[in-house]
Amino acid sequence: MATNDKLIQVRNLEKHYNRGSLHALDGISVDINKGDVMCVIGPSGSGKSTFLRSLNLMEQPTGGEMIFHNIDITKKSFINKQGKKEKVNIDLHRQKMGMVFQHFNLFPHKTILQNMTLAPMKVLKMPKAEAEKKAIELLGRVGLADRADAYPIQLSGGQKQRVAIVRALMMEPEVMLFDEPTSALDPEMVGEVLEVMKDLAKAGMTMVVVTHEMGFAREVSNRVIFLDNGKIAEEGTPDEIFGAPKCERLQSFLAKVL
Amino acid sequence: MTDFISAEGFEKTFRYGKLIGQGLLVTIMLALFTVAIGFVLGIILAIMRMTDVRPFRALAYGKDGRLRNSRVLVAISKFNPISFFATAYVEILRSTPVIVQIMIIYHGVFGQLIELPRLTVFGFIQFNRFFPGVVALGMNSGAYLCEIIRSGIQSIDLGQTEASRSLGMTKGQTMSNIILPQAIKNILPAIANEFVVIIKESSITYVIGVQDLMFAVEAIRGANYIIMEPLLVATAIYFCLCFPTSKLIAYFERRMSRGDKR
Repeated sequence: MATNDKLIQVRNLEKHYNRGSLHALDGISVDINKGDVMCVIGPSGSGKSTFLRSLNLMEQPTGGEMIFHNIDITKKSFINKQGKKEKVNIDLHRQKMGMVFQHFNLFPHKTILQNMTLAPMKVLKMPKAEAEKKAIELLGRVGLADRADAYPIQLSGGQKQRVAIVRALMMEPEVMLFDEPTSALDPEMVGEVLEVMKDLAKAGMTMVVVTHEMGFAREVSNRVIFLDNGKIAEEGTPDEIFGAPKCERLQSFLAKVL
Repeated sequence: MTDFISAEGFEKTFRYGKLIGQGLLVTIMLALFTVAIGFVLGIILAIMRMTDVRPFRALAYGKDGRLRNSRVLVAISKFNPISFFATAYVEILRSTPVIVQIMIIYHGVFGQLIELPRLTVFGFIQFNRFFPGVVALGMNSGAYLCEIIRSGIQSIDLGQTEASRSLGMTKGQTMSNIILPQAIKNILPAIANEFVVIIKESSITYVIGVQDLMFAVEAIRGANYIIMEPLLVATAIYFCLCFPTSKLIAYFERRMSRGDKR
């Protein structure tokens, strides 16, 4: 499924916290191609989440560049095709990048249906009827069509995360970013969420997944990067990473988690 | 020496039923308008306090893009004039007596700078006294409500903002669709409490001649040389306004928090 069309090019990405005393990302360079399912693994504090959150600028990187649709989105402005300086509109780019969070972050004051239709209606100006039809269809795909009028409080963790995934899909993103989507779930609910993600991967969605689910990384992804101290310590196919880890840090990490 | 309280005194007081009724209405309207003005002002101030406008931001960084060592420059770079203005407003209004603020608005602003028409609304509300009273109370209550609203907004989990922004919604759309509805639900009891406080505090506007309940008391005293009886009647009315209201708030507070249990 993976192609060589580069969707996001990350170059020397840097992130300092606390006036530079903490170096969360230390020169990360990686290409995310269309159709890639890239898993990001690593010990806690290695910068996995910071890296993922930088991709749609939830965290503002302090250095380096990220090319998305021929625009360096880390900068304030770019030169457009007419040769004029134009402001980078981050809201526009975020529409094309869906994000799924560890703690679901559904809107508690809105029903499941309203959760899903709000952004398409406000941002894409989609008519209400069309948005609702699309939402019901997507909910049906994850087996939750009958919960459309429920509030998030009434759903289990696994159901909430499935809704969060289809909520992001409503915007028809080109890439989906998953920030430890199963870490806050009860063990018996992890499977149902991973199943939805597998279906997405099969359908050809470009995905970047920060995860501790090594089984998922091994089975579904086509590329794995291992972060350590804000650097890419090793990258390769799942077979390379899990079958024949080269660096010592990765070997000891895998020994602990597998 | 006359009796401390006499039946005759009450009888005299009740003859002014119409005046007391009008005073009660003025008191209620004062409180309603004040909360409305205070609420809008409070939202504006709260948003001003939370802005991130730093015109001198660039001063903190040297040519190499690194943070300078100079503490003074770094401090200046953090200066946010909009937030500073709102904070100064809130602190000044909260640290001075309401009665002084009312006097300044009535005698200063509307006495000398702006002239108000001598209107009479409903036949008994003197606009040129009522309006300055509402403005002064509203400005005061805005300062308190600002802090209530700000804490309400900041109590909403950051994940809500992130989820909304990740869907491509702008800062403003996120604020009006996601953050404010949740924040206002959380702070509704506090706002309603502020309403009760204002019902009581509005009595102070009688010093600028707003014909509220206390003004009626003064009028009855002046005409009949009785004070305790009208005061007790006013006390009873204030109590009947505030006590049920605060009980009602407590009831709704309990009901609303029931829905939040996870």
